[in-house]
Amino acid sequence: MQKNNQTSPYWKWLPAAFALAGIILFVFATYGPPASSSGFVSTLKGVLQTVAPDYVAENAHYRMIPDTGSWLFAFVLGMAIGGFIAGRTFSIPVRDIPEIWEKRFGGSKVKRFAATFAGGFVILFASRLAGGCTLGLFISGSTQLAVSGLYFGVLIFGIAMLTARFVYRGAGGGIGKGEK
Amino acid sequence: MSAEIWLGLLSGIAFGFVIQRIGATNADKMARAHLMMEGDIPRFMLMAVLLSSVGLLGLQAAGVGRTLIIPTSLVATGVAGILFGLGWGLSGYCPGTTWAAAGEGRMDAVFALLGGLAGTALFAQLHEFLIPLLYAPTNVGQITLADWFGSKPLAVAVFVIVFGICIWAIGILWGRGEDVPKS
Repeated sequence: MQKNNQTSPYWKWLPAAFALAGIILFVFATYGPPASSSGFVSTLKGVLQTVAPDYVAENAHYRMIPDTGSWLFAFVLGMAIGGFIAGRTFSIPVRDIPEIWEKRFGGSKVKRFAATFAGGFVILFASRLAGGCTLGLFISGSTQLAVSGLYFGVLIFGIAMLTARFVYRGAGGGIGKGEK
Repeated sequence: MSAEIWLGLLSGIAFGFVIQRIGATNADKMARAHLMMEGDIPRFMLMAVLLSSVGLLGLQAAGVGRTLIIPTSLVATGVAGILFGLGWGLSGYCPGTTWAAAGEGRMDAVFALLGGLAGTALFAQLHEFLIPLLYAPTNVGQITLADWFGSKPLAVAVFVIVFGICIWAIGILWGRGEDVPKS
């Protein structure tokens, strides 16, 4: 890992936090609590209702979330566009396999893509059970001082940290404080 | 309706851009945050929430905006938090970052997004079985810190202090990322 210095293209955490808080407050003012896992439901509802309208109409989960003609879908679509613009104007090219993963598991795309598919499956299943994700439950909820968001936040950070320790155990880069 | 779509799109573009610029769409940086090697992403997240909580108090005083408290279910929220942590630690992506990272052109994020759609479809299928089983019995309602402290400004003050301490502690306990701590 090369040492990062002042020329890093990444933003500093503090000004970036002010920028994100401004966006979050804009969303609260113009829509309501921001959410992104609901956008998965909207996407799926939009697709499924064209092929299985009866199934969607009778399903309790699809009934509670609007379809693709909604703020929720526009927001996740916007995030993809925002990511695209940000990526095109960034000096570091993207990788399909993260460096730390490649060090631990090698360069197999099949292995990495299978892992992210499984990870994505689990996080969305869990988000729909809790009623929100990192954004819709932790960030939106904690901003409103909701106990659900804080409880969920403590668990997701704690378990993700333990999981990462297990997944990347013995990874060559040396893991721990003061490595860089 | 149309204004709502444009607002959602605009908000999403801004949100996706900022989370890419802090490195949250980069699963390598996310893993390093989870491994306590770089503290920038967690400090960014907690500070954004801290600032938003103060700002939201202002919005509410001005009578602007809409809030919605998601209920706390001891079992469902807890089980979901554990499962979510496993998936987040394994993949380095969370639901929002998959969209921005897929837009950025990361193929592993495209697979995380597809997996997410499959996980959503399975939960929707099981909704009427799982919600009465896991969510409803231990649902303690739409509780907030303001209920516990009896006053919203007091609750925000306590919240800001606790989050401030967490941000400070991450700066000390996590390795040095992009931003070298002043102390």
